[in-house]
Amino acid sequence: MREDLERLLERLVHASVLERVAISFAALLAAILLGGVLVFVSGAFATCRSGLDLAGATFCYNPMQVYYELFLGALGHPLEGGWELHNYNLATTLRQTTLLIFAGLSVAVAFRAGLFNIGTQGQLVVGGLTTAVTVLFAASYLPSGFVGTVLLVPIGVLAGAVGGGFYGAIPGALKAYAGANEVITTIMLNFIAVGVTSTLLSWRFQDPASDNPQTRAVPEYAEIPNLPLVGFSPRMNFSLLALGFAIALIVGIAWLLARTAFGYELRTTGVQPAAAAYGGVDEKRMTVASMTLSGALGGIGGAFWVLMEHGRWLENVPDLGFDGIAVSILAGNNPLGVGFAAFLFGVLDSGSNSINTATDVPPELVGVLSGTIILFVAMPEFFRMIGRRYVDLEDSVPARSTGGEADD
Amino acid sequence: MTGSETATNDARADEELAVHLDGITKRFPGVVANDDVDLRVERGSVHALLGENGAGKTTLMNVLYGLYEPTEGRVLVDGTERSFDRPRDAIDAGVGMIHQHFMLVETMTVAENIALGNEPRKWGGLAVDRGRIDREVRDLCDRYGFDVDLSATVAELSVGARQRVEILKALYRGADVLIFDEPTAVLTPQEVEDLYGVFEELTERGKTIVFITHKLGEAMHAADGVTVLRDGRAVASVEPAETTREELAELMVGREVLLEADSDPVETGDPVLSAANVTVEDDRGVEAVSGIDLEVRAGEVFGIAGVDGNGQSELIEAITGLRTPDGGTVRFDGEDVTDWSRRRRIEGGMAHVPEDRHEQGLVMPFDLVENAVLGSQRSARFARSGRIDWADVRDHAEDVIGTYDVRPPDADAHAESLSGGNQQKFVVGRELERDPELAVATHPTRGVDIGSTEFIHERLLDLRREGKAVLVVSSNLDEVQALSDRLAVIYEGEFVAVTDPDDVTEEELGLLMAGERPDERTQPARAGSADAGGER
Repeated sequence: MREDLERLLERLVHASVLERVAISFAALLAAILLGGVLVFVSGAFATCRSGLDLAGATFCYNPMQVYYELFLGALGHPLEGGWELHNYNLATTLRQTTLLIFAGLSVAVAFRAGLFNIGTQGQLVVGGLTTAVTVLFAASYLPSGFVGTVLLVPIGVLAGAVGGGFYGAIPGALKAYAGANEVITTIMLNFIAVGVTSTLLSWRFQDPASDNPQTRAVPEYAEIPNLPLVGFSPRMNFSLLALGFAIALIVGIAWLLARTAFGYELRTTGVQPAAAAYGGVDEKRMTVASMTLSGALGGIGGAFWVLMEHGRWLENVPDLGFDGIAVSILAGNNPLGVGFAAFLFGVLDSGSNSINTATDVPPELVGVLSGTIILFVAMPEFFRMIGRRYVDLEDSVPARSTGGEADD
Repeated sequence: MTGSETATNDARADEELAVHLDGITKRFPGVVANDDVDLRVERGSVHALLGENGAGKTTLMNVLYGLYEPTEGRVLVDGTERSFDRPRDAIDAGVGMIHQHFMLVETMTVAENIALGNEPRKWGGLAVDRGRIDREVRDLCDRYGFDVDLSATVAELSVGARQRVEILKALYRGADVLIFDEPTAVLTPQEVEDLYGVFEELTERGKTIVFITHKLGEAMHAADGVTVLRDGRAVASVEPAETTREELAELMVGREVLLEADSDPVETGDPVLSAANVTVEDDRGVEAVSGIDLEVRAGEVFGIAGVDGNGQSELIEAITGLRTPDGGTVRFDGEDVTDWSRRRRIEGGMAHVPEDRHEQGLVMPFDLVENAVLGSQRSARFARSGRIDWADVRDHAEDVIGTYDVRPPDADAHAESLSGGNQQKFVVGRELERDPELAVATHPTRGVDIGSTEFIHERLLDLRREGKAVLVVSSNLDEVQALSDRLAVIYEGEFVAVTDPDDVTEEELGLLMAGERPDERTQPARAGSADAGGER
């Protein structure tokens, strides 16, 4: 039994890329099956006018319909008549994907440096407000129209990066120079971010025309522009340009980690700080630098949330930063994986909306369903992570003491 | 058994042999690790299995211990043929193994560790019978003269004491044959002597010992019989009394070996490294180095000998920039570098073979290509405006692997998959090929086989010949004595002597390392700090 388990684990650790993709799909299927049973059985405890009568009970929910809405609803029901590529549901999916890419990259970069940044949420909140305030301020000095867009959008994104980066540098410096654990400080700074931004809002930046806690709207030309012809309608609050920028950032971060001296130092610090110090890395500066980079990525997420989704900063910021943690873990903290993980989250998010409008299944159950899917898809990679340590340990017992015997 | 002049008397009945491996062959995909190996060990004797890294010693012992199944051949314990599927079977047959890396739970007590997995039960198997454990373990300690505090947690114990716990664990499980994998690799010279004492106690009471080693001196000194392995074959089985070190070395390596590194005098130049009145505190804030002065000149090898834990690590860290000294100055190439960062010192031409290759010298989960650039990731040689040229780095990694005979010769292998000796070779190679002005090497050949040791020594002497400065720290007296032009002995954070290594005998050095000053033949009156090793 134990041996079978070990063999299985070893097989998993040494799986090829193709096998890993296959495993992920198998996990997805298994999750769908289990979730389907869950939804179906839950239907017996609900009351409804019409349902499937079976063995004396009435099953209210149809799992097939639920999955149809979850996956195809997220794309805007492509199999139904009158489908257009540029539909609202797909825009929601891709908007969520874009924002989660920024948040996921933020968490992943910190993870690779050996830091657990729970503060992406706070960095996103601060970055978002910085963007809104900066753009509102700069817009009064700059021309409108196309020139305004070209100038204001980069300024806004940069402002978000600076604001988030600064807010990430704080826990970095606290860790480096005062030894404060970054998990604790980033959690606390999340609360501080909410408090400080809402105070600032009521002090100076509140939109006088509204009762909602929000800033004034940035001029329309300062929002992320939509591409002509292939782009989505401005009403859908999603721009392909933003998605393109997010994907470019994925490639950029992957390149930074793999090819540059800074990335090498960051990764070395993450896996073995003593070796990094030996190799001439100043650990304190690296801690601050990687937290700043992580915070800047979170801040960019805030900037796009402001400039793409709402055109203004609202006090009620969604939990993108916390979802970013899940995205990063699902992606194994690999920048390239973050893209796919963010898309899965985008689909689940948008699909859930679709289920809520089209069926009677309660939102709580939909939450359980998407949670199950995330759990299942993440588990194989998780076991690989565990298994790699275990299998290495097994291998190294003979190898390390043999003096490089033939077995390695 | 090829080339065995003093072959064991075949007429001797097999029952007298505690262990008899008969024609063991072990193949791994693509390689033969053991090729028709015979091993005969008499009951109540100490047998050394001698060979270089990768000769197949540990594979053979893993066959005996049931970790590997032999491809061919028979395993006989006490004259009975056995087939072990797993270590448990070997333990049941009375074979115990003491691994190089101890398998102890640090947070548990000595007694708990010894009984772990074999706890006697009471109350119908519901509870562990601690009283019985204590009684039985105490009996064992008394019988073999072990002095171990049973209620101490393993974390509190010195390395030597941990090893004794491992031995007790094997004895507690009823082992009659004890296999030791490189038992002296982690011990201080004094602890090594103690271990030989333990060997004697054990064999007097009828236990049989097989130990793996690549050190000639140990095999000559401690063993009743020696089997030499080379490239997976048993090339000879001899008794130490009937052979010489040179002969054994040749059997091991397959060619003649110079045991003494030859260091002809070289003109020394200006001081490259000088430290004045350097004081360093360790992690706990205890003064580990107290006002040391030292000077290493161009064209000179300066050696520091001492028992581990006497401040040499902290001194080296202060010199290489890994730790800030609490007082004094360090000058390098005429400049005051006391406040220089580690990176600046590397760029200034300081190479460093660190004490701990697992923690510092190598990034374990990275492959050798990535490890080849550690320390040079920002140097003009490999990086162009912050971008690392990985193709260049790969060439460099392959050079180091080839030149220093790192096995397996695969740049894509992860550092953690290499054996200790090969990891060390790679680190030494990377550092010495930096073309440094000053090479600081701590235990440069720890865990390395003698063929490669010879090569590393030659390379260090080459640097010296090129007019570079070399600082060597080692607890291996042969090594520092052979390499150094000047030799300092460190004890409790101070140099107790700086001499010409040819003017002192090994015994005198041993006494100096133990804290006896040349001018006084009594223990220094200084109150011993709570330092690890201070009590030795």
